[in-house]
Amino acid sequence: MALNPLLFRKTLVAATGLFLCIFLVVHLSANCILLLPEDIARKLYNSYSFTLRESPLIKVVAYLLYLSIIVHVVYALLVTIRNRKAKPNKYMVNHDNENSSWASKNMGVLGSLILIFIIIHLANFWARIKLGLGEQVNMDIDGYLDVYSVTYALFQNIWFVLFYTLMSIPLAFHLFHGLKSGFKTLGFYHKKGLRILAKVSLIYALIMGVGFGIIPLVVYFK
Amino acid sequence: MRVIFKIWRQESAASKGELRSYEIDGLTEDMSFLEALDHLNEQLVLKGEEVIAYEYDCREGICGQCGVFINGRAHGPHDNMTTCQLHMRSFKDGDTIVVEPWRATSFPIIKDLVVDRSAFDRIIEQGAFISAKTGTAPEANAIPIPKTIADAAMDAAACIGCGACVATCKNSSAALFTAAKINHLNKLPQGKAEQHQRTKEMTWQMNEEGFGSCTFTGACEVECPEGISITNIAEMNARYLKSKVFG
Repeated sequence: MALNPLLFRKTLVAATGLFLCIFLVVHLSANCILLLPEDIARKLYNSYSFTLRESPLIKVVAYLLYLSIIVHVVYALLVTIRNRKAKPNKYMVNHDNENSSWASKNMGVLGSLILIFIIIHLANFWARIKLGLGEQVNMDIDGYLDVYSVTYALFQNIWFVLFYTLMSIPLAFHLFHGLKSGFKTLGFYHKKGLRILAKVSLIYALIMGVGFGIIPLVVYFK
Repeated sequence: MRVIFKIWRQESAASKGELRSYEIDGLTEDMSFLEALDHLNEQLVLKGEEVIAYEYDCREGICGQCGVFINGRAHGPHDNMTTCQLHMRSFKDGDTIVVEPWRATSFPIIKDLVVDRSAFDRIIEQGAFISAKTGTAPEANAIPIPKTIADAAMDAAACIGCGACVATCKNSSAALFTAAKINHLNKLPQGKAEQHQRTKEMTWQMNEEGFGSCTFTGACEVECPEGISITNIAEMNARYLKSKVFG
């Protein structure tokens, strides 16, 4: 029997989503370097960034990351299209806030906002640093690409600071529902475990939201 | 007690429907919601108008026929309740009550508030049974089943197939219904022999019928009159993956 699209597509969305959740932990941990005083932060951040670019293991993970984002977006879109077809006529009155959370009903909108953010974020950093597009990135005194200055310069622009900080809100909501839902989609059904997972998802979403949201502000006011 | 019903009227699946207002007096708080609709229909008969079509059978919360969407909730404002168990005391004098049919591509409207839920029957036909001939009722304890497993199977078996899960789900997913039917039998020794085939075929039929995917909003378990837990869907997902590997 062929793969059941109802379950298979959701499984792919969940598996890639959970992988992206792990990536975010690593990404936020590394970005916390930006919270340190400038002299230490610049040295650490640039050498860390160099390690990421040069390590063969990280290269494999990076390709896995690109693939995960694409699969997550494409399959989430397929799931959404199918789900809309299954309910084309909406209720005239629907008090769905009484039986389900706002985040769980708006994953598509939240995800789209995050996708817009990712595209702009990649244009700001990845395109310049990895692809060498746009203004050239200088070297620091240790001979590493001065990624810290790229970040610092970007976050001197209040509009980018606001954009990055505000976008951490949809991220947090998306993660709050996504983490706990992803586990259930992959077949985790232990009742007590799920109650703990719901709390873990909330804490995780808060840490990610506050963490990613605060970094641009700290850099701006440094 | 006086209320204004705004009820979805639709002649057939092909015709266009609309909400129509009916002001009705002479209700009491002790009337069930269905009795209030009966009262309205009696008035319509006296006026020579066409009565409102709606489904019901047992009127004691166990048959699952009386599914309608009332004031933005499946089976009305309370959690885990059928329409027939809803009483007019849940509303205030002068309230406007909007009544709509279940809305889902897989549940086409037959007339007014009546929808065709035979998609559920076709899912059942794919494996919500055991194929062994069991003869007459055997001795109850011939097959020892631990109490925890028997209880969990019974909790899933409690599903009355009312369709509130599909109706309330923003994706019209039938995952809670299908999961309940799969898990009920797969948990028990009698159902285990055909568990993988059952899981694959029933979930496949759920797909064929045009239902959406479960995105775990959790609305279904709030509206389910039997309080069937959404963890059943997670369990079905696990069983589906297992059936793909071992089936």
